[in-house]
Amino acid sequence: MTARAQAIRPRGLTRTEVAQVLLRGTALIALAVMVVVFGALSPTFLQLTNLEILAKQTAINAILAIGMTFVILTGGIDLSVGSIVGLTAMIAGLLINEGLQIGALGVIVYPHTWMVMVIALVAGALVGAINGLIITRFSVAPFIATLGMLYVARGAAGLLNNGNTFPNLVGRPELGNTGFAELGAGELLGVSWAIWIMGALALVAWFVTSLTPFGRAVYAVGGNQRSAELSGIRVDRTKLVVYMISGLCAATVGLIIASQLVAAHPATGEFFELNAIAAVVLGGTSLSGGRGTIVGTMIGAFVIGVLTVGLNQLGVSSFWQLIVKGSVIVLALVLDQLQVRVQRRIALQQQAHADVAPAPAG
Amino acid sequence: MNPEPQVTTPTAPGPDPDVVMRAEGVTKVFPGTTALDDVTLDVHRAMVNVLIGENGAGKSTLMKILAGVEQPTSGRVLLDGEEVRLASRLDAARLGIGIIYQELNLCPNLSVVDNIFLAREVAPRGVIDRRRQRAHARSLIERLEQRIDPDTQVGMLRVGQQQIVEIARALAEDVRVLIMDEPTSALSAAETEVLFRIIRDLKAHGVTIIYISHKLDELLGIGDRITVLRDGRMVAHADAGDVDVSWIIGQMVGRDPSALFTRTDHPIGEIRLRVRDVTLPRVGGGFLLDHVSFDLHAGEILGIYGLMGAGRTELLECLAGVRPESTGEVRLDGLRLDEADVADRIEAGIVLVPEDRQSDGLVPTLSVAHNMLLASLKRYLRRFWLVPEWERQAVERYIGDLSIRVSSADQPISSLSGGNQQKVVVAKGLMTAPRILLLDEPTRGIDVGAKSEIFQIMSRLAEGGYGIVFVSSELKEVMAMSDRVLVLSKGAIAAQFERDQVTEEHLVAASAAGYLRAAAAPAPGSALAAVGVAR
Amino acid sequence: MIDRRTAGLKGLILIPALALAACQGTSQASPSAATQPPATSEPTAAPSSGGEAGGLVCVIVPPVENPFFGAMQQIAADKAEELGYTTLRLVHDDDANKQLELFENCISQQAKAIILDNAGADASVAAVQKAKEAGIPSFLVDREITQEGVAAAQIVSNNFQGATILAERFVELMGEEGEYIELTGKDTDTNAHVRSDGYHDVIDKIPGMTMVAQQTANWSQPEGFSVMESLLQAHPNVKGVIAGNDTMALGAQAALIAAGKTDVIVVGFDGSDDAIQSIGKGELKATSLQPVAEMAIQAAIQADLFIRTGSTGKPEKQSIDMVLLTPDNACQYEQFAPKEGAGSCS
Repeated sequence: MTARAQAIRPRGLTRTEVAQVLLRGTALIALAVMVVVFGALSPTFLQLTNLEILAKQTAINAILAIGMTFVILTGGIDLSVGSIVGLTAMIAGLLINEGLQIGALGVIVYPHTWMVMVIALVAGALVGAINGLIITRFSVAPFIATLGMLYVARGAAGLLNNGNTFPNLVGRPELGNTGFAELGAGELLGVSWAIWIMGALALVAWFVTSLTPFGRAVYAVGGNQRSAELSGIRVDRTKLVVYMISGLCAATVGLIIASQLVAAHPATGEFFELNAIAAVVLGGTSLSGGRGTIVGTMIGAFVIGVLTVGLNQLGVSSFWQLIVKGSVIVLALVLDQLQVRVQRRIALQQQAHADVAPAPAG
Repeated sequence: MNPEPQVTTPTAPGPDPDVVMRAEGVTKVFPGTTALDDVTLDVHRAMVNVLIGENGAGKSTLMKILAGVEQPTSGRVLLDGEEVRLASRLDAARLGIGIIYQELNLCPNLSVVDNIFLAREVAPRGVIDRRRQRAHARSLIERLEQRIDPDTQVGMLRVGQQQIVEIARALAEDVRVLIMDEPTSALSAAETEVLFRIIRDLKAHGVTIIYISHKLDELLGIGDRITVLRDGRMVAHADAGDVDVSWIIGQMVGRDPSALFTRTDHPIGEIRLRVRDVTLPRVGGGFLLDHVSFDLHAGEILGIYGLMGAGRTELLECLAGVRPESTGEVRLDGLRLDEADVADRIEAGIVLVPEDRQSDGLVPTLSVAHNMLLASLKRYLRRFWLVPEWERQAVERYIGDLSIRVSSADQPISSLSGGNQQKVVVAKGLMTAPRILLLDEPTRGIDVGAKSEIFQIMSRLAEGGYGIVFVSSELKEVMAMSDRVLVLSKGAIAAQFERDQVTEEHLVAASAAGYLRAAAAPAPGSALAAVGVAR
Repeated sequence: MIDRRTAGLKGLILIPALALAACQGTSQASPSAATQPPATSEPTAAPSSGGEAGGLVCVIVPPVENPFFGAMQQIAADKAEELGYTTLRLVHDDDANKQLELFENCISQQAKAIILDNAGADASVAAVQKAKEAGIPSFLVDREITQEGVAAAQIVSNNFQGATILAERFVELMGEEGEYIELTGKDTDTNAHVRSDGYHDVIDKIPGMTMVAQQTANWSQPEGFSVMESLLQAHPNVKGVIAGNDTMALGAQAALIAAGKTDVIVVGFDGSDDAIQSIGKGELKATSLQPVAEMAIQAAIQADLFIRTGSTGKPEKQSIDMVLLTPDNACQYEQFAPKEGAGSCS
């Protein structure tokens, strides 16, 4: 027994361990390589201020991608997040600049800034809930349901101010609704609010996915819906909640962008959904559901962020940027698949040696 | 009747004209398990080569290697004395090797015809000749003595009928070697008898059969050569005429088979589950379940017997809350549960262990541990968070209790053998601490050892005052394990037997009752005859 | 062994991308590095707020798929490089958020000035403000923002003037009477409204002119085509089409040709090369030329002046008049600027 352990373990296991660390960290390695290369090519890239900007810009996509991860883990997709960003930004703009008209009396209520944010977040979650209800109650495919919402929410965003921007969202002191810009421009301990929010959401999402029954239900629904249902998981409720989470994340982004721009534009967030999906997929989450992690999504979001900021700083033409971005996404996934295969083969070969070799003795 | 195991060591590498196919020194490793360890198997020409062993013994893996579905980690495959490389299912099919899988491999969204001809459509000039395909399919189904409309979507068929389609699909190929991996696990006795006639017919036409099953008496009836695998190694090889069931079991488990059915006498108590007029309408008229009423007492094992399509699975699904369209009254300890959904009923103490573990029982993307915990997550909560330590303890306890063979609880569920997967599904149900356990074919595709363990668990639970509803197509099981047997036929209760009254003849006659009334049915004699043969 | 190789492989994909990035960057920056800044020969005034020429200038424009913006970026950046600066050419895709991100990047790279064709009159204020706070002046071209005192200069073409001269020509071509259709730009774009107002300022005073339809084609050529196609069904007697830009006009023109209605008068706006060609072929009848080159060059010159002297010497809002292009003079223009040595058109 002890002889066998000595003979087999040391060499076999350390090699596996090294292999696994290397393989699990591929996305991270890619990220590190990119950071090093961009750092070498652009002297300002690795400066602290630039890295903060990088994190701040990534936050937008990362927050959307966190919500999207939940949806994709259940085997769904949410194409409406970009439009929800626009809609909730417009709702915040409307509430700050024009207040809330109540009834036919013509009474206008200007909610406090924090109320504005809460209302916008609730609106985002509600739009998500509508997505979820259409998907669960009427068995509409998530792709179609959220595609429809992509148009509807974008149209609603335009309607709120007839296609015009709500400018200058600073509020008025006498109405008590100032300070909205603080969300986009403010800092805590020298770090932007957007980054704090991203970090907090990522942490919460990580806890929820790995340590709550709801998180487990999300994975189970994506892996085998029927089996999840028979295990007593409320599949419809789980799906409803993931779309609400996605809507909530989108609303958070809508608020951050409107606050950063100090203006709400109805076209805010166009095509954001595609970046978010790209980040999720880059992070190793399977589009068919059931597999993936929040950590992976965060890495995916940063890969895209570093790529975008880095290429911009080097002044690469926007056409080449698109080609590079698309190629990196596809190639990363191709390599991921290759690595899965290689990893499996290595593991099996090692196991074969480990299992077969001591057999005659035991 | 030769109790001496004839352990053959593979020698003479020279081609033997009787051996059509040979697996030589085959080893196959999966993540976490070595499925096959240096196995050599000779497949004899125009014979029924039976392969037998417990779950996880490596039978299915060996068959998949012979069929080109899996590739061996080491070792080689010879066909007519020459080494062949079977890199894919298609390679094997080209060489005339057909396979009927243990797990159904049909496209539920396609029709019976489309499934039978999938990937080998009759398509002169690139256009599918639907008429010829349909005619051919119909003749195949007729040959199997079935009445299935070739245009039905496969998803609409019951598991047993799907198995028939799977067999028809293999017959549609012109095969030299046909591998059958538990073809009868979902078949009724009558259907099984038809299949055996076809096997004998194929044999007469020079087709070699490799046959895997857990139904031991069945094997002795149909097999010519018997090979026993245990723990991924070949342990014995014999002519079917020389051995009997106890020899086989002895080889498989290496222990005395008499203790298969453990059943301790236990007191039967108060009524726990009251079922009244449970009715499930069939799409397009009629009933899948027709006013089913019964009581289940504490400590009682209620067996449910019936033919395929009699409504057994549907009954359990209604009790578990999967079929919200059903009507009728279900009370657990006086508490009405008619409106409760699956989650509520699990909470109340009714849990279902479903029949089809692949599609209903497991989440393939999750690990063994997470599959086991799925139905009982609330038990490991501290406020909002799951406590990994509690989870781990519970998982380890049940892995031990049910002797689930895993190298780690975190390994993917897909790397387990069928029997171990089934034990995981059972564990998932037990971990909800149910008061009523609904077992739908819990022993389907399970080896003797695992069966015995499941029966032990059933007895233990019954002793503890649990009520158990137990569906099985195997007469012996139902009779041995049940305190009472309900026979379902065409969705209604056709008969009810107490433990001391029940005989095989009673059960078979009652199960066919509904069909007898419905005029044009296979003669009752054939069903009875089938049972006779199976014995 | 194998693991390490594949791990390296993943890094490998990035290398061509980055090498490419590097090439792009240097190819654009090198001309300026090579040329000695001519600015140094000029006397440097106002040393208190002024500085040296040289450094980074960001040129940020809407999607360059539209040649209008491509030309603008090219001309402004080339001029800046000629004046001794390195340039970073960026595209904001009409996304105010992306524009803000690009501004942040330019700020972190310590740009000396930003030349901008913005992504929305209101939504761009924050970005320009942010640059100003970081001490970087912004020079806006083509499109205005709603706040004054934030940008160092706002150099725009006089869209209203351009619209009125075009409308006058349109009325003349129509013979002061008949049914016409107006295709407007994106509703969210202020320029769409300014141009439409300019058209109506002229046309509404002519009693014989009746507008039978006014519809948006979102600045887009395919949409111009499809909108025209369906409007033709409803209004077969239409005599003229006035569009808010050239691409919509070209789309409408194509639809009219497809329907065999070649006698309908179509006029566009912007003076793109495509429109000039179309006029040369006798299809489009007129367009108003955006003084893109002049705006872009002015922006670069004023940026240079500001960097060196701390002032542009001009008011913040500067409006440059547009030129009417007709078959008589269209061939003398190219890339939004007068062609050198072009004779009269025949």
